Amino acid sequence: MKKSFFSSLKLKIASVVFGSLFSISSSVSFADTVNILGLFPFSGPYADSGKLTDQGARIALEEVNYTINGKKIKYITRDSETKAGPAARRAQEAIDTEGVKFIVGPWSSGVALAVTEVAKKNKVMYYFSGGTEDISGKKCHKYAFMWAANAWTAMDANLKIFKKANPNAKKIYLFVVDYAFGWTLQKYVESLAPKYGLEVVGVDRHPLGHREYSTFITKAMSTNPDAVYMINFGLDAISAVRQLNNFGFTPKKPVVMSWSSGFEELIQLDPAARENLIVGSNYYYTIDNPDNKKFVEAYKKKFKGVPPGYAGAAGYGLMKMTLLGMQKSGSTEPQKVITALEEHKGKNFVGDFEIRGRNHQTVRPFFVLQTKKKSEMKNKYDMAEVVDISSTEQPKNINMCKDIGSF
Amino acid sequence: MTFLIISQILNGLGLGMLYALVGVGLTLILGVLNIPNFAHGVLYALGAYLAFTIANLTGSFYFAMFLSPLLVVLVGFLLESQGVRRLYHAHHDYQLLFLFACALIIQEIIIIIWGPIGFSLLPPPSLSGAVDLGFLIYPKYRLVLICFALFMIVCLYLFLTKTNLGAILRAGIENRDMVKVLGINVNVVFLYTFGLGAYLAGLAGALSAPIMGLTPSMGLDILPICFVVVVVAGLGSIPGAIIAGILIGLSQGAATIWFPEATNVVIYVMMGLTIIFRPQGLFGVR
Repeated sequence: MKKSFFSSLKLKIASVVFGSLFSISSSVSFADTVNILGLFPFSGPYADSGKLTDQGARIALEEVNYTINGKKIKYITRDSETKAGPAARRAQEAIDTEGVKFIVGPWSSGVALAVTEVAKKNKVMYYFSGGTEDISGKKCHKYAFMWAANAWTAMDANLKIFKKANPNAKKIYLFVVDYAFGWTLQKYVESLAPKYGLEVVGVDRHPLGHREYSTFITKAMSTNPDAVYMINFGLDAISAVRQLNNFGFTPKKPVVMSWSSGFEELIQLDPAARENLIVGSNYYYTIDNPDNKKFVEAYKKKFKGVPPGYAGAAGYGLMKMTLLGMQKSGSTEPQKVITALEEHKGKNFVGDFEIRGRNHQTVRPFFVLQTKKKSEMKNKYDMAEVVDISSTEQPKNINMCKDIGSF
Repeated sequence: MTFLIISQILNGLGLGMLYALVGVGLTLILGVLNIPNFAHGVLYALGAYLAFTIANLTGSFYFAMFLSPLLVVLVGFLLESQGVRRLYHAHHDYQLLFLFACALIIQEIIIIIWGPIGFSLLPPPSLSGAVDLGFLIYPKYRLVLICFALFMIVCLYLFLTKTNLGAILRAGIENRDMVKVLGINVNVVFLYTFGLGAYLAGLAGALSAPIMGLTPSMGLDILPICFVVVVVAGLGSIPGAIIAGILIGLSQGAATIWFPEATNVVIYVMMGLTIIFRPQGLFGVR
């Protein structure tokens, strides 16, 4: 008796749930909304960045009140897990079931290379934060855009400032994260180092998500380099910097964090471990312009006074550019939005911002920071100062995007 | 080259001691309770986060190292008495799902309380900085960690071999049913075992915090290594877990010299080779 009662109750609940789902799906058509997917790492090695990137994207959406060109914006998120397979599968699922036409994310280059193929196949616009050059290089296509500065621009800026700050330095040792983006940056550092009178005396590639660097550090120290130049990100970079400090490498000698999220990485380090770092980043919250001040204020309100780093800014920037394309084209059709963004030239919260139509690469400022000593900090977030801003464009002949194709 | 090899042995030992501590805790629980504790990693993370908070509140690093693992024991007691105990007779799938769910919940709690961004916990001034060993400049804290972890492992070994409770735990690993027949309250044995495993995980987490820092995902990062330690050691083998932990640390150090890209893969290669050539593990009997 009891069993049959529960069985019938289950049936009733199921019919109510499925009935209401059916009524919702039949009453909302994809044509009434603009469906944007935020594909970010909510788990995996870059999980600390996923939530921040998502929040940045939401601030951009709140600025337009989730409405564009008279349509409501439906913003959905999926976990990229920093894994190519699950991220591509979830992007495809969101396109198929949610009618997604625009994708922003997913933070990691290896994952982006998988997602960009999904975007191309489904004719969905895709804005990637940065930075494997393949998105605007050999894997370029009409539907994908790159928000970050080109890797070549970044490495050139880092080496220039490092040499300026350490004129006697001759030898650098590289720690490189072992995946697509790491290899790209390594290639550029090795080719650019001689231009600044530097020799790469050793390279160690470490797996993504590595946390224990003592073995790498002792190996690097045995070559007596003038600096360790790091091509890794997030928790990998933080762990390595912390342990380089444990081993007494810093602050005696500098460490270059070549592609850093800036604030979000630096705040995780104690001021003592942060000393004598040269930090290259696509964003730092002290950028002095009204658009950035507005964004920083909105972000700080959401995060109890904590300013944004690269992750938050990337989420905001990706969504802003996607919305800008819609505003410029007066459309929410990916092809029209893409056409409107090609050859875009303007200013935004990071400064002068241009998009090259031939490869969809952004030409924009890359910021090089020098960390402050504890005694120089005015408050706990005053961790570094911007010492150089570089927009030097990657030479056209070394860009691998020879033909971006058509829609 | 010789200096490089010696320094990597030292590094491998430091790493291996941490792996041994956390691996012994897991193997104890697996051996006595016959449950793969998927929440072991988050107990490690909890140890680190509690140590961070206590050190900040009290200003005492040493007190934090003492208290945080004990608080993790309380969490372990709670998990065992309120959850795991109800699933001893259930299929392994349920135990596994329950503990995995606990791991995810505790990790989310860590994010809610401490936030998604990580922290640093600095060793006290007396343990900060590096010492010149002649051939290598090596962090003081890591040297102390190697000695302390070794001390803890010796204490654990003496506890397990020289005390009545230790004998009961070892008997539990060998034959749980026989322990029941002898009139010993197995619920209490299970509770203490889970608590001891949680203590070792919490202690390893707290000790690793000044080296690895704190991140919410640190528990899930260490968990696969714990299981590799158990597989290489042999299910339930305490000395095996100690030696396997150290071997894994040393193999990572060696990989960095000759094939740095493989520093993580080498762990799983060791596991694969063990499964193929010695399925019962280096010291296992079943």
